[in-house]
Amino acid sequence: MVERLKIIVAEDNLVQRLYLSKLIESLGYEAIPADDGQAAIQELRRSRIQIVISDYQMPNMDGIQLTKAVRALDLDHYVYIIMITGSENDELRTEALDAGVDDFLNKTRSPVMLNARIRAATRLIQHADELAERTRILKETNDRIQEDLRAAAAAQRQLLPDFKEEMSGFDISSAFVPSSFVSGDMFGCFPLNEDTLGFYMIDVSGHGVHASLLSVALGYLITPEFFRTFALQDGQPFDPAALVANLNDRFYSSDNDEYFTMFCGVIDTASGELTYCQAAYPSPYYVDEEGAVDMVGNGGFPVALLPSMTYENNSIHLAQGGTLVVCSDAVTEAENEKNAPFGLDRLKRMVGTMPYVGAKQMPETIVQSLTDWRGGNTLEDDLTVVALKRN
Amino acid sequence: MIHTTQHDDSITVVRPGVERLTAQNATGFKNEVVELIDQGNSQIIVDFSQVSFLDSSGLGALVGVLKKIGHRGDLLIADLNSDVEQMFRICRMDRVLPIHRNVDAALQSLRERQ
Repeated sequence: MVERLKIIVAEDNLVQRLYLSKLIESLGYEAIPADDGQAAIQELRRSRIQIVISDYQMPNMDGIQLTKAVRALDLDHYVYIIMITGSENDELRTEALDAGVDDFLNKTRSPVMLNARIRAATRLIQHADELAERTRILKETNDRIQEDLRAAAAAQRQLLPDFKEEMSGFDISSAFVPSSFVSGDMFGCFPLNEDTLGFYMIDVSGHGVHASLLSVALGYLITPEFFRTFALQDGQPFDPAALVANLNDRFYSSDNDEYFTMFCGVIDTASGELTYCQAAYPSPYYVDEEGAVDMVGNGGFPVALLPSMTYENNSIHLAQGGTLVVCSDAVTEAENEKNAPFGLDRLKRMVGTMPYVGAKQMPETIVQSLTDWRGGNTLEDDLTVVALKRN
Repeated sequence: MIHTTQHDDSITVVRPGVERLTAQNATGFKNEVVELIDQGNSQIIVDFSQVSFLDSSGLGALVGVLKKIGHRGDLLIADLNSDVEQMFRICRMDRVLPIHRNVDAALQSLRERQ
């Protein structure tokens, strides 16, 4: 047997309540009588009844107070409220509609009108139920995606080193702040053999899942072995440009605009000679022991943006006590509340405080300054800072 | 989003219609310019006079347009502010995309080629 739709009848007058309940039953619904507003609320709390027909005038809690109380219950399903009024008073109806009443019946109680009102209520409730079901599915899907993203972010973070260490005579320190769960930044630094140190910084254009997939692929691909294969040839000068050219060939595709910028270098740890290739990544700063700052490199093509690009090797000498500071473009592009970017000059001045701050603290100090600079502004791009100091 | 001005000699000047061409709007910008190219416009000048900031996605969109035009036409850039010009220089995009002081200079350069 199909269960009949239940309707709460809130009416303090016994005769009226019985009459209305009978009328509702005769239309094929099940009437649940409530002798005042409180009883109706109690019924709504323990059942999933979705239609209430309520008198306006009742002791303790009138129809409008009942409506407000129903809305305040904040149930996970919609309750359709039809209020019975004796008059066509606009003011009362406005107040009732504001409180959340859905429809009105006047006291004449014609069965035809009552039936029409209940059918309208049923239609709306079905619609609300479908909507709620769809919202539930969407929320469930969204929760799953968020959970996946958190897992992806955790996996990606494991790939990114958190440097605070000494490596082949260099102090390496880093700071990394993703702009969302996952990031398009990737970096690494490792000894290539007894005499050389290799490092790279990558910033995949765009951010979010798309960019992070490429950055993770690059993080797995660029290993010490990869450096040795392409950038170190026996008896030849270091050739990081060949490594970058290899990545360009490997990742260029004519049918998408995905690309990345990169800075990579090989350091001869005995002499302090750094051979680097800049591929559109912002120029790093070199700071000597006294705090004098120089910009390193004057640019180069991005990677995977256009086919068959040529890349250059350049070199500088890192003196003992000198530090190289490499920052993603999120540093200079970070804006304060007046939309002024942090800019190159400010970064240069900050990096110049190296003798006081120290290389180990510099990445965190830059991140802190940017947090202060942004004020309430959110970070728009992934932020990576790495400092390499030659001891 | 984009505003276009047609010039007598089948040159289209495109203003991106945003102050910041970034990951937020770069795809929309590219799609609209690509549509122009599909309609047969192959000589395009992008007027940056109203654009104060371009990020890597914006640059990717410009190169996407360049790839779309290919050898069939020209893509010129006009009126970059100093920050954006600096970004073009670091990326060596000045070697891939002809950059002109302003729209008039870009127009003149295109007419001289014809």
